[in-house]
Amino acid sequence: MHAGIVLLAAAATLAAQSGGSETRFAFSLGDEGGYTAGLRAPIESGTNLGIAQGSFAWREGGRFRFAASAAALAATAEETHSRLLVKETYFGFTAGDFDFLAGKKILKWGTGYAFTPTGVLDPPRDPSDPTDRLGLNQGRELASLEYIRGRHAVTAAWASGGMLQRHRPGLNETFAARDNFMLKGFDTSVIFAKMRGRPVLTGANFTRVVGESVEVHAEVAHCESTVVLAGGQYSFRSGVNTTVELYSPGAGGPRYAFFRIGKSRLRELPGWKEWDLGGMVLANLRDHSRLLIIDVNRRFGNHLSVYGRVQAPAGAKWRSEYGMIPYAALLTGGFRVQL
Amino acid sequence: MTRTLALALIGAAACQAAAPDAQALLAGYDRLRNGWDSFSVRVRIQTFENGKADEAYDYEVYQKGAERTYVEFLSPREKGQHLLMLGDDMWIYLPDTSRPIRITPLQRLQGNASNGDVARTNWAADYNAVVLRGEAVDGAQCHVLELTAKRKGATYRKVHLWLRAGDGRPVKADFFLASGKHAKSASYDQYETVNGRTVLKQMTLYDRIRNSSYSVMKYDEWNPRQLPDRMFHQGRSERF
Repeated sequence: MHAGIVLLAAAATLAAQSGGSETRFAFSLGDEGGYTAGLRAPIESGTNLGIAQGSFAWREGGRFRFAASAAALAATAEETHSRLLVKETYFGFTAGDFDFLAGKKILKWGTGYAFTPTGVLDPPRDPSDPTDRLGLNQGRELASLEYIRGRHAVTAAWASGGMLQRHRPGLNETFAARDNFMLKGFDTSVIFAKMRGRPVLTGANFTRVVGESVEVHAEVAHCESTVVLAGGQYSFRSGVNTTVELYSPGAGGPRYAFFRIGKSRLRELPGWKEWDLGGMVLANLRDHSRLLIIDVNRRFGNHLSVYGRVQAPAGAKWRSEYGMIPYAALLTGGFRVQL
Repeated sequence: MTRTLALALIGAAACQAAAPDAQALLAGYDRLRNGWDSFSVRVRIQTFENGKADEAYDYEVYQKGAERTYVEFLSPREKGQHLLMLGDDMWIYLPDTSRPIRITPLQRLQGNASNGDVARTNWAADYNAVVLRGEAVDGAQCHVLELTAKRKGATYRKVHLWLRAGDGRPVKADFFLASGKHAKSASYDQYETVNGRTVLKQMTLYDRIRNSSYSVMKYDEWNPRQLPDRMFHQGRSERF
């Protein structure tokens, strides 16, 4: 009993010394309708997706943390199916130079925009939606220990192959370690990972800003084969930003190219600055098939945005990666309210 | 003749001694913008278009020393975004991700009140200062400083800054891009005393390219406190 009182008193003292608690929360509601034109398969041409998302985070001084986020989806094609996604739920605490974390968390170690050879714990990256525009990425069930001292942040993590969610395909139990540091302007990471049933993966990545306008990034990883990504961003004075990436996923596999151009706040004029416009091309350099995507977004005040998207594949029908997509164009449009 | 020359030399030396120290004046300006070595402050930016309230943005800014700033975006549309500045380098963190995206210097200037306006407020580290002249503004005698960027991380290439001769408080400023274009002007409107220190409470940024637009920046909840070094590491997985 005495030991219990001492522990409680110590915890209370620690909490008092650490500077008080803070919370953050967010909630958003959205709906997106889709229509496929030139459909070549017996599936519904019209779809609808309703999404409600919420997140909560609590921090006690600099020592304890808890965060959770989830999304409820209602997808309608012929029938309506609903799902609840738990994106993150984790608890963390800091002791000295160590951060410990356990639960379900999104960790991204890759630096690539559309592709990432070294993102061993990253959610699967969809190059046609590199920013996860609907916010539906889920974290891995993991435990990690991070040591930050001086220039280095060293992280060791164990991620399960699926404890509560056994049905997520492609997940293997993974042990991974990363050392991240800045070296002469290069934000650099060295990564090791061992996935169950596969050889050890060794990899590295970096990003660097050159001059006023250029950012370059690259990744290389070797497991069963060597996978390479090279890319960069260029910012124009007009505010237009471009991103280019070349991805080679190993010997014998196809090479990919990715190009994105976009501008937020189309012009700094009333009626124009609420608009964002962007376009992407994703190409398989082996079979020359391509996917073209155009995004338009319009903001209304601080809470509402309305968007539209056109996605059009091109390439040899049924004989190329993007040519096999069974429609001529996918048109989606929706809105999002954020509180 | 020799006596006249000697008197002239003595007079010149006296003027030299009285000339203000531009870098010291700039350091005084920094103390008004960054009251302590380690602190946090809530910043609200309200933009106006043709006199009507337009967009509003809220930030929690954490700063440690002259080289490290961490900004949390609190507005509904930007919630979950974070910005980290370390010296000349800047990263932005997007919601649902622990992966930082490097920002080029040009990307920092985008938007009405730019990321640089919010995150980069230690001018003694970014600019070389010289006193151009004295000038009276609204009845108060001011030193006019010309600041020239000395590192690539500086938000603007050149700044003209008016500081009151009596107490060193900024009155107004003009900001110039690398092209020489006069991009913005600022007025320093209100101050308050927090824990015995005078700090800036409100300033206004005027868009000189489109003269119909301006932004009011309000600083509230100044909180001097020890911030951990780990908060400012680009590789840290945890972002609150």
